[in-house]
Amino acid sequence: MPRSIWNGTVAFGLISVPVKVFSATESKTVRFQEVHLEDGARIEHRRICPNDGKEIDYDDIVKGFEVRKGEWVELTDEEIAAAVGSQSRVVDVDHFVPAEEIDPVYYERTYYLGSRDDGDDAYALLLAALERSGRAGVGRWVFHNRERTVLVRAHGDVLAMHTMRFADELADPGDFELGRVNRKPTKREIEMASALVDGLHTEFDPTDYKDSYRRAVLKLIERKAGGKEIELPEEPEPEPSADLVAALEASMKGRRGKRRSAGAKRRSRSRRRSRSRS
Amino acid sequence: MARSLWTGSLSFGLVNVPVALYSGVVDTDLHFRQLHAKDHTPIEIHRFCSKEDAEVGFDEVGHGYDRDGKQVILTDEELAAAAPEKTRTIDIEAFVDLDDVDPIHYDHPYILMPAGDADGTQRAYRLLLEVMGGTEQAALGRFVLRTKEYLALIRVRDGRLTLTTMLFHDEVRPASKVPTPGKDSKPSKKELDRAVAVIEALSCPWDPSRYEDQYTKRLKRVVKRKEKGQTVKPPEREEEPSPVPDLMAALEKTLAEVKAR
Repeated sequence: MPRSIWNGTVAFGLISVPVKVFSATESKTVRFQEVHLEDGARIEHRRICPNDGKEIDYDDIVKGFEVRKGEWVELTDEEIAAAVGSQSRVVDVDHFVPAEEIDPVYYERTYYLGSRDDGDDAYALLLAALERSGRAGVGRWVFHNRERTVLVRAHGDVLAMHTMRFADELADPGDFELGRVNRKPTKREIEMASALVDGLHTEFDPTDYKDSYRRAVLKLIERKAGGKEIELPEEPEPEPSADLVAALEASMKGRRGKRRSAGAKRRSRSRRRSRSRS
Repeated sequence: MARSLWTGSLSFGLVNVPVALYSGVVDTDLHFRQLHAKDHTPIEIHRFCSKEDAEVGFDEVGHGYDRDGKQVILTDEELAAAAPEKTRTIDIEAFVDLDDVDPIHYDHPYILMPAGDADGTQRAYRLLLEVMGGTEQAALGRFVLRTKEYLALIRVRDGRLTLTTMLFHDEVRPASKVPTPGKDSKPSKKELDRAVAVIEALSCPWDPSRYEDQYTKRLKRVVKRKEKGQTVKPPEREEEPSPVPDLMAALEKTLAEVKAR
């Protein structure tokens, strides 16, 4: 495990749990460097003054916020950091919510909380109590001079902490206008599509899904390194299916063949629930 | 309406729906610019070739990959050739119960809209809304956005398809190496009962509207104060509380306080 990124305390009521924070996730993208195609040399990003085209020294750069067009208020990093409000080392969990009510769009990033110092008993207590109650604690966390709302929950044998998005950070789906349709989906189309959904229903197992693109990119690099030509694909325009019923019917036929080999994982009927998330 | 970040096909069996992807978040942050100190001109970032010391246009930039000390260079077009079908199609592979998905995987929300006015497109989109709405099921597919492949979770939210990118299984670090208490820290039944009672007493429904971005509000105040020429001081670092020696006593006291509210 890499090193912890923050040390502090999770408090609920009068109980304080000293914790270490670890990143729970890491991106596995193939990383490239920007290079000049012509000679392969590294690309540098230089700060240029648009008035004279000359490079500006780092020491001659300040941060500014545009209060009116062309009018800037200069701020130092320390002044920006003042917006944090408090430099608290405590995540004060002051209420608890049923985690299954939370819509996935609110989750931002996940961290693991590790125990530290003499806090083992308090850590074990919070973990067990969250597990048993099925609730998650909500608090505020100051990290990198920024305050975030966090959700602390039991994740097997460890406490996980999610940073959460604010409601006003989320786009309102209603702002996206739907086009008109001449004919609503028919009952038959809905039935067939529902049957297709049921046929594709499976228990979620994250190990079933692998990043095939990463492998494809690495293969591409090998081909290029071997001096082989890379064929460029054509870009066809996406086209809607002309006949929905025919496409659905053909899909069902295709599934029936596949389904036999898919094994016991698939359930024949999906669970339908009315509970909603917000 | 905002510009779409990606267009392609959402494919469900043999049903194809041309779709456009929009960001599901609105940027509420305050943005600072880098300025030239002497006259407050916003600076520009230009790309330069480190060898020639000359400016390079965006179309002269490629992707360099260090392969055991030897550099391999790919153009944008060559990179796009890695998995062309994945960069254009979100193929729905399965439907899963939302409750089975650990939120640890969630990454970024987007909104999927039908692309184009074609009746077939609009109808197919409506069909998906009709079939997927009102269930706690979500569709899973994979697609490539910019230069990364994502697992994508698609559901109906407020009458539109919402796509949430997810991290792959191997991008979630195993929790096994996180330091956790040993078996001898197991709480007693009495302690656990009290702690659960505290949690129950402090429980309420999830209401996202009650949380406000205090940081951005304060940052706006900082800018205002600075504009008026006032000084701004960062807060002092605060002391951390030490763990309580007697958990049971702390629980009893907390419970009494919560109940007295």
